[in-house]
This record gives sequence, structure tokens and C-alpha cells, in this order.
Amino acid sequence: MFDLTPTSDNSPALPNAADHGGVSPELSGVPVISVKGLTVGYRKQRDDSTMVALQNVDLDISRGEFIAIVGPSGCGKTTLINAVAGLVEPWRGSVEVDGKTVKGPGPDRAMVFQDYALMPWRTVESNVRFGLEFQKGRATKAELAEKVRHYIALVGLEGFEKSFPYELSGGMRQRVGIARALVSEPEILLADEPFGAVDAMTREAMQGELESIIAKTGQTVILITHSIDEAISLADRLVVISSRPGRIKEIIDVNLPRPRAALDLKTLPEYARLREYVWDLLKDEALGAKELKV
Amino acid sequence: MARGWTRNPAPEVDKVDELAVDFVPPKKRKIPGWVLLVINLSVFFLIWQFVATKEWINPLFFPQPTEIWSALREGMSDGTLPEAIRWSMECFAIGMGAAALVGIPVGLLMGSNDRVYTLLSPYVWAMASLPRVAITPLLILIFGFERQAELVLIFLSAVFPIIINCMAGPKTVDPSLLRAGRVFGANKLALQVKIVFPFTLPFIVSGLNQGLTRGLVGMVIAEIFGGNQGLGFVIDRAGQTFNAPLLYAALLILIVLSLAMVQTLRWLEIKVAPWRTQSSQA
Repeated sequence: MFDLTPTSDNSPALPNAADHGGVSPELSGVPVISVKGLTVGYRKQRDDSTMVALQNVDLDISRGEFIAIVGPSGCGKTTLINAVAGLVEPWRGSVEVDGKTVKGPGPDRAMVFQDYALMPWRTVESNVRFGLEFQKGRATKAELAEKVRHYIALVGLEGFEKSFPYELSGGMRQRVGIARALVSEPEILLADEPFGAVDAMTREAMQGELESIIAKTGQTVILITHSIDEAISLADRLVVISSRPGRIKEIIDVNLPRPRAALDLKTLPEYARLREYVWDLLKDEALGAKELKV
Repeated sequence: MARGWTRNPAPEVDKVDELAVDFVPPKKRKIPGWVLLVINLSVFFLIWQFVATKEWINPLFFPQPTEIWSALREGMSDGTLPEAIRWSMECFAIGMGAAALVGIPVGLLMGSNDRVYTLLSPYVWAMASLPRVAITPLLILIFGFERQAELVLIFLSAVFPIIINCMAGPKTVDPSLLRAGRVFGANKLALQVKIVFPFTLPFIVSGLNQGLTRGLVGMVIAEIFGGNQGLGFVIDRAGQTFNAPLLYAALLILIVLSLAMVQTLRWLEIKVAPWRTQSSQA
């Protein structure tokens, strides 16, 4: 009904992957993350009932792609990202990263958390170093310290190395969270509503920063958000998930030029159309979920 | 109910409108806290001295501070008080040490293992809610008027608050921190060492702090009821012989000892977990 997905007839996301530079087209054709028939549920301890959070999800993500997952609350977005992270075991189907089935967390995947999840007893420096502490490698202490320094600088926290999280604002805490996730130079960055707890102005500024950081570091990103604006401003593709049990409702290509932070994105007619389209999709879901409850 | 606004006087400078964001006001001479404390206490004892000298209060119960002071000096020089302090502190150190040695691991284990918790919690909660004084006669029955009775009472008084506080640590550890630990590759042992333990440390310290105050109660009770040595015994004997100055002197020593220990642990509590006290100000 809408002609908003002009690349849907092409092979998916090829042009977008090139945006992040340095990735050869042959490589980007092979999905780095491949979610196959993924169904995840939970058993509630209280009454031993079960709840299916995610049902039969298929999703291929190319190297260097920026994916945003949007959906009504409680739709299983976090479950999807947890399955990719290797924190939760699927009931059916699988997640493959680089062709290998995920059986647990690995150094190729790092995560940014909505509530920052920083150790309050560690300084900024030490919190960032946590991302490296369990890596098996032959890096010397000096090399590790240099990496930590580099990523603290990348997120703009020089001078706060010795500060504790409780001394920082929410936005600054999340910068620490981002540096910690990037310091191990993972292939994949998972972000679970990373800016959900920071104020609106900081949020917009940090979206732009995240975009430019990822342009430099080249990670494949899965970002969960319930802000349509955030999803459109950042992602190459939007994955819209239906309300529980979560299924993929639609995948939408976002063909807006980069870097988007530099543009006055919201004035573009394409942006407005895309926003309206996604909003309609989600509104149906939100209302549908409500009707089920009543 | 609070009415009106919180007092927030502007600094005394000429032009408030032109103040910079981080304006450091001209140093106003502020009296240091310890000076205020000394003045406060001096005034208190002076009033006491005056009222006692006038005999507006019964000197049998409320002796003059100068009499207490001389009783204190006399007791210190003839060796009764140093000996009592040594005895009490030694017993306390042994009982409290054993309570920490048992209480911390048991509490941590109960907090992190549901089976151990299910097994031990009825006893722990029962003993924790029982006023420990109530078992003094039983302890005297078992151990007689020996030192063991005192050691056991100190131990039993201190160990349950320690267990209960240590238990809360692993039980309340932030699940999001554990999730982060797992994502970044920590195994089960590493999660315990790098997340659960540092998270629990402040709980352990506050457990020790509570155990300390309870243990002191146990110590004094044991010495008053069953012992023939220690500060509690001095207090008991002084009371029975109408020696109020000595009684007050012993109380004073108890206050000083207990304050010193509690304040040390409180300082340690802030030291190991500055975020708990200061995050609320941020």
C-alpha cells in the first residue's frame, strides 16, 4: 500500500552496509547474524504457567548494518536481544553469529543496558576495563590501558577516568556503558534501549554521537527502542515487532543519507512519511494489545 | 508539616546578580565541629556540676562530675578499671570475632543458596527475634559463672544480626549487573568475586556494626548477671555498694569504647560504599 521500501526488491541492505566503510560487498552479502525460526518463552515460577515472548522470528543481519527493533512494550524485543547475546536459551530455532550457533555470551557480542549496569564501586576507567577483563588474549597491560584510554576519549569522558558512576549524570553514565561495550572491539553491538533513561535533549545529542562512533568503529548494531524517531534517525533497517507473542510484523528500509545527525532530518518529507507509516503500524499493535487485555 | 520554604540565604556580597556559576564566597569564619562539641559538653557538665553541688538532685544517684572524675582516676590508678576494661574487651573480641567468622559465611551462603536458606532460616529468625537476655539463665546453668557463659552470650547476641545482614547482600544483588557480567564473559566464579562480593561488602560491614552494638549488650548483661570480672561487674558492684561515682565512671568508659567502635565501622561503611551515602545527593 505504501511505496516506502524501494530496496525491498534488491538484495537486502547492501547499499547501507557500504555506508560504514571498509566492508567488502562479498562479505556483507553473508549475514553476520542469522536468526532462524526463533521461539523463546518463559516459565513463570509463581503458577508454573508459560508465556511465549517471541514466536518464529526469522531475521538476517548483514555485516555493518544498523538495525533498530521497535515494538509495543512487552513484545519480546529484549528477549530477542538476549537471545542474540546468548543470555537466554531458545525453545525452538536458533541464532547464528558468523555461521556458528549461539550457545552463550561471547566476546564477539557486547551490550549496552538501559539502566547502564555500571559497577558502582568501580571508577569510570575500571568500569570500561570490565569489558576486557574476561577476554582471553595476549595483550599487555599497557596495551589494555591504551585501549581503555582510547575508548574513554571516544565517548568524550576524558578527565572523568577516576570518577565514580554516582558522580556522573545519566548521559555520562551511558557513555561509560558504551565505552565498556566497545572497548573489546566486538563485532556486534547490542543496545537495549540505551537512551531510555536519559532526558530528551541529552538523548538526541547522544544519538548523533552513537551514529558517528559507529561510523568509526564499524560494528553491526542491534538497537532496541520504543522511540520511532530514534529508530529512524539511527537505523539502516527497522524491524517492527507485533505485540505478544512477538513476531516480525514488517521490516522497513530507511534510505536516508548519513551522517544523519548533521541533517535537519525531521524536516525531510521522507522522514515524516516513514514516521507516520511506522506509527500507524505500532498504533495498531498498541491498540490490539489493549483490546486483548480488556 | 513543613511550611514555607527551606532557608537558603544569599551570600553576603554586594551584587548577587553578577555572581558567577561557581562562586566561592569570601571565607566566613566557621567554628569547627569539635570546638562546638567541646563547648557543648563543657556547658552540660558545668550545669550538672552546679545542680549537683546545690543538691537540687539527689547526690546518691547523681554525683558531681568532679567526684566521677576522681573515681575514674582512682580506679585507673589502683588497677580495677584497667583490669575490667582488659577483661571485657578481651571477651568481646573473642565473642565478636567468632560471631563474624561464623556469621559472615553462613549469611552469605544463606543469601546465595535457596536450600541452605530454607534449612536454616527458621532457626536464624527465631533466634534473631528472641531477646537474647532471655537465654542468660540457661547459659549460666550450662557454663556456670565461668567465662564461657559470657563468650557464648556475646557470640549469640552478635551473630544473628550479622547473618541477617550478610544474607541480604547476595539476595538483593542487582540482576542487571549480573546480566552485564555474563555478557562480558564472567563465569560463575567471576560473577561471585567481581559482582556479588563487592555488592555485598557494605551489607557485611553494616551487619558487623549491628552485631557490635548487640554484642556489647550481651557482654554487659553477662558480666552483670553471671560474671565476677569486667566493666559490667564493676557497674553491678558499684551499684550495690552505693558507689555512684565509680558506677558513672564505668558507664563513661563503656560509652567511649562503644562509640569508638561504632564510629570506626560507620566510617568503614562509607569507605567501602561511598555511592550508598552520596548518590542521594547527586
